Amino acid sequence: MAIEIGEESRDGATLLTPVGRLDSESSELLDSAVARHLDGGALKLAIDFREVDYISSAGLRVVLMAAKRLKAAGGSLVLCSMQPSVRLVFELAGLLPLFAVEPDRAAAFARLRAAP
Amino acid sequence: METCETVVIPNTAGGVRAAAQGFERFSTARGLPAAAVWPVQVALDEVLSNTVRHGYAETNPERQIEIVFDVRGGVLEVTVVDDAAPFNPLEAAAPTLDAPLEERSPGGLGIHLVRKLMDEVRYERADERNRLVLRKRI
Repeated sequence: MAIEIGEESRDGATLLTPVGRLDSESSELLDSAVARHLDGGALKLAIDFREVDYISSAGLRVVLMAAKRLKAAGGSLVLCSMQPSVRLVFELAGLLPLFAVEPDRAAAFARLRAAP
Repeated sequence: METCETVVIPNTAGGVRAAAQGFERFSTARGLPAAAVWPVQVALDEVLSNTVRHGYAETNPERQIEIVFDVRGGVLEVTVVDDAAPFNPLEAAAPTLDAPLEERSPGGLGIHLVRKLMDEVRYERADERNRLVLRKRI
């Protein structure tokens, strides 16, 4: 079962919504979607985790690389709607303090709107 | 219903997927709680994808990895046996968890997650096989 990744744009920001688990296999698809938008010049990106059941280190790697790439380009990344399982994995990996995390997509878009 | 089930997969990405699906069937059939199931799914993905990616020389023909799922006495136990190169995840270096974003590397995170998410991890090397046991209390 391939993961689905919803894609939406609003106010100059791109929102990606992966559906399912972000494991070693499905994370490659998220990576491709992120790359496609960043290659296309997107500087404001949000990832909505509300439909993500769990995330493994492969998924963390994709998010980490997206953050690095956006920071280097002067862009912004916001993560939102993390379920407890996803949040816990980010915490255990010591990654939570590195990211802008919002409770829902409205807050994520607002934060990206306000970003330089 | 049997308390345990065995799944044998090839050392490929498709095999890792099959193992995840096998574990999902196993845990659903027994009504295991999500709080115990998802951490084991993550740990299994970490262990298997690590083995598939690093455990075998490129010239190796397809190998098999055996995974046994068992639940008894309030403990969910997953045993992974492979004949890949010796690798004890318990001896792997811990990742740096406090570097700034630019210096943060994804390396080592997978094993770290396995150790943190499982209640117990045991490893032994015997008969030229790696044998890893993951235990999670239900």
